[in-house]
Amino acid sequence: MCFAAAPVILSTIDAASAEARRVLLLHAFGHPYSPWSDFAASFRAELVKKSPDPIDLYEVSLDTARVQDPQGEAPFVEYIRALLGGRSPDLIVPVGAPAAFFLQRHRAQLYPTTPMLILGADLRRIPGARLTKYDTGVLLDLDLPAYLDNVLRLLPDTTNVAVVVGHSPVERYWASEVQREFERFGDRVTISWFNDLTFGEMLRRAATMPPRSAIFWFLLSEDAAGVPYSQDRALETMREVANVPVFGMGDYELGRGIVGGPLMQTQALGHAGAEVALRIFKGETPGDINPPAVLFGAPTYDARELQRWGIAESRLPPGSIVQFREPTMWEQHPGLAVAAAFAFALQTAVLAVLLVQRRRRRRAETLLKESEERMTFAASSVNLSLWQFDRDTGELWTTDNCRTLFGLRDDAALTREALLATIHPEDRESAVASLRQALDANQFAIDDFRVVLPDGRIRWVRARARAHVGNLGGSNRVAGTFIDITEQKDAAAEAGLRRQEVAHLMRVYTLGELSGAIAHEINQPLTAILSNAQAALHLLDQGSPDSAELRDVLKDIVHEDRRAGEVIQRLRGLLKKGEKKAETLDVNSLVHSTIALLRNELIIRKIAVKVDLAEALPAPAGDSIQLQQVLLNLMMNAMDAMADTPVAQRFIAVSTRTTSSGGVEVRVRDRGAGIGPAQADQLFQPFFTTKGHGLGLGLTICSSIVQAHGGTLSLKNDESGGAVAVFTLPGHEILLAAQ
Amino acid sequence: MNVDPFTVFVVDDDPGVLKALSRVLRARGYAVRPYASPQAFLADHDPAAPGCAVLDVAMPGLDGLALQQALTAGEAHRPVIFITGKGDVPTSVRAMKAGAIDFLTKPVSDEVLVEAIARARNKDAEARERHAELSAIQAKLAALTPREREVLGHVVAGRLNKQIAGDLGTVEKTIKVHRSRMMEKLGLRTVADLVRMAEKAGISR
Repeated sequence: MCFAAAPVILSTIDAASAEARRVLLLHAFGHPYSPWSDFAASFRAELVKKSPDPIDLYEVSLDTARVQDPQGEAPFVEYIRALLGGRSPDLIVPVGAPAAFFLQRHRAQLYPTTPMLILGADLRRIPGARLTKYDTGVLLDLDLPAYLDNVLRLLPDTTNVAVVVGHSPVERYWASEVQREFERFGDRVTISWFNDLTFGEMLRRAATMPPRSAIFWFLLSEDAAGVPYSQDRALETMREVANVPVFGMGDYELGRGIVGGPLMQTQALGHAGAEVALRIFKGETPGDINPPAVLFGAPTYDARELQRWGIAESRLPPGSIVQFREPTMWEQHPGLAVAAAFAFALQTAVLAVLLVQRRRRRRAETLLKESEERMTFAASSVNLSLWQFDRDTGELWTTDNCRTLFGLRDDAALTREALLATIHPEDRESAVASLRQALDANQFAIDDFRVVLPDGRIRWVRARARAHVGNLGGSNRVAGTFIDITEQKDAAAEAGLRRQEVAHLMRVYTLGELSGAIAHEINQPLTAILSNAQAALHLLDQGSPDSAELRDVLKDIVHEDRRAGEVIQRLRGLLKKGEKKAETLDVNSLVHSTIALLRNELIIRKIAVKVDLAEALPAPAGDSIQLQQVLLNLMMNAMDAMADTPVAQRFIAVSTRTTSSGGVEVRVRDRGAGIGPAQADQLFQPFFTTKGHGLGLGLTICSSIVQAHGGTLSLKNDESGGAVAVFTLPGHEILLAAQ
Repeated sequence: MNVDPFTVFVVDDDPGVLKALSRVLRARGYAVRPYASPQAFLADHDPAAPGCAVLDVAMPGLDGLALQQALTAGEAHRPVIFITGKGDVPTSVRAMKAGAIDFLTKPVSDEVLVEAIARARNKDAEARERHAELSAIQAKLAALTPREREVLGHVVAGRLNKQIAGDLGTVEKTIKVHRSRMMEKLGLRTVADLVRMAEKAGISR
């Protein structure tokens, strides 16, 4: 058993100025069941509209009409009482007979003296004798035979009528009522009943009705299998499959597939109910109000259904209303139509003259259209979107594939804002700026930006834009292309990553070559630390140690420890794998720390170093580790180049200076054999090496690192013999090229 | 002046290491003289002063092995202990062949270093003793007349007085006189003593 409640305050009028009227609206079915929900909707709307006081509405839905178990109703009573929280309502409105029966059964517990207005039950269900003086009702008096009369009037040849009626208790009641009242048609038509069928079976029957048949859709809230149906959808489904006209029972079904005829008036009933409610609020005794039963209104038909089944409007009873008609001009505005006809006659003459021109233009248009289609096809086949934007009107035209490119839904509007909204927030500003630049400067603009697709993926789009110069010379239109460059971007990022990895491997390789020298660099401070510490131990053993000397020793230990730490720091930097950082570089200190790293190797190879560093160098932006790698490589090259040079002449000169353009230049000069003419072209080729043990990647990587920093690297022979490697780095106002 | 004039000469181009080594050796009771470069050491070096050298192998300008050669050339006998940052086998073999006391790897513990220095000290003392003896012998030899010197060579070669007289073109009696004066000047009694001394002085038979 289930139930649902929706206490709703339907008015916001200040409670202090007027007492709210508490109305308890009681449904026997769930909310969506027609016609009861239609009664309630109409009543509710009208009451709120007409009532001078605020309406405090409690709407309770019992599914008892479908379940029907009076023994189990006690919790509902409890529930309703709990819902109202001890206050009694000003009016109780059961919608439909089952709800009224429920209230009548439990009136003793549910506010016996509160007025009750029974809404939408049929007269034959609510005998007057069972109403008290607190009760009244706006009831129906369904003229059942009128339904069948209507069918036979419109389709006199009809021999079969199938009645759609469900299997719930209330529907079983009505099935027998209808059956009884239709008996008198027995000699004219054969009536079949759907109340013992499932909805699926009903549909199959409806689709295969014999000729000269009709369907009368009465009520369906639950089929023979106990499956509930919210009626309107079920009706529409049957109308779709039915091979014969479907007739209905109430105004709420009109427009949903019934032909029409005399119909139960749910709207009118709701309104009448609201009138009675207001009279009760004014103080009238419910028992004294005897509103008339609500009858059928004027027969009403659906023009589309009439046309579909070929029913002439002449067959309709006098005073009928035909809805959903597509009115002709003649019918609606005869005067205007005459005038229009006259004007048309005049125009015809003009048109005749224009026809020739028109045909020409049409041919031009066809050509234009074809050309446009060809262009669109060509564009989309290379994954290119074309676009044009008018700054004056804000209008954006694009080819259709633009939606896919920007991840927009097929039905999404293609506006400038819609496109901008898909652009990654970090890129949006620059995209707009480049568009504006194209317009303002009347020039070509290009911008790459990221589009965030609905699933969160990133797509790189390159936009090209160019101001479109109009006839008057002004440029308020800009046109261009969008193209998906995600693959290129991915490839570039991949290449960048590879290069970083190779550069890292090179550093590891270089340091491997230097490992002996580096071990020495770390050994020196370790040696000093050990000796100092052992000296301190001996001093302590001497009985009355000189504390000043001990302090000195400990200070030296700390100093040496730091020194070892610095060596390790330098190493760690070079061994680290990582993305390029942009920091402010002190090139001179990079030179010093590189030489420090090579110190022992230089001693072992008996190579003297001369350092000539300019003061107050500009500070370029870049990655110190990568640039140290360049220096390290160039110095190692210089050292390797002098393996055959006599010891006395082995010499490397490292110098720095400020260039005329405000950058930094670093030179590494050696006294080796220099560069052979055959080697000059190959120096920067990957895997080219003149060394017995080299990888041939050093200069390639150095060159790519320097280039990524916006600089250049060159290698040439020095006038004094040997080779000189020169690299420059721009001052920091020049942007670092991304990867 | 210290009673024990034995001095450890420490040579290392790394100031931190030089200071620390010197410090620990002083704490162990040695007289230490630190030098920051091989050149500075050589300029100041007195081969006669007792002591040993503790040298770093890799130094700019003049490396440890070259310095060792300079220290042991000719009469010089300065014991050398090497310390190095990397245990490079060929270098250590060359150093040991050239008479190094030891070839130690940095960082070096004071125990190991002191033990090596002790060996160096013994070697230095021996050499110094040998040298002193030799000097004494040479001083005595220098007192001989050329004729006495000539006779000495013949006696050590095992020739009889008569034979010597024949060789030198004189009579046996004259040789006897030269011989007894020579033995007297050298302070020796027997021919065996003379032969032993001549061996030490490097006089061939």
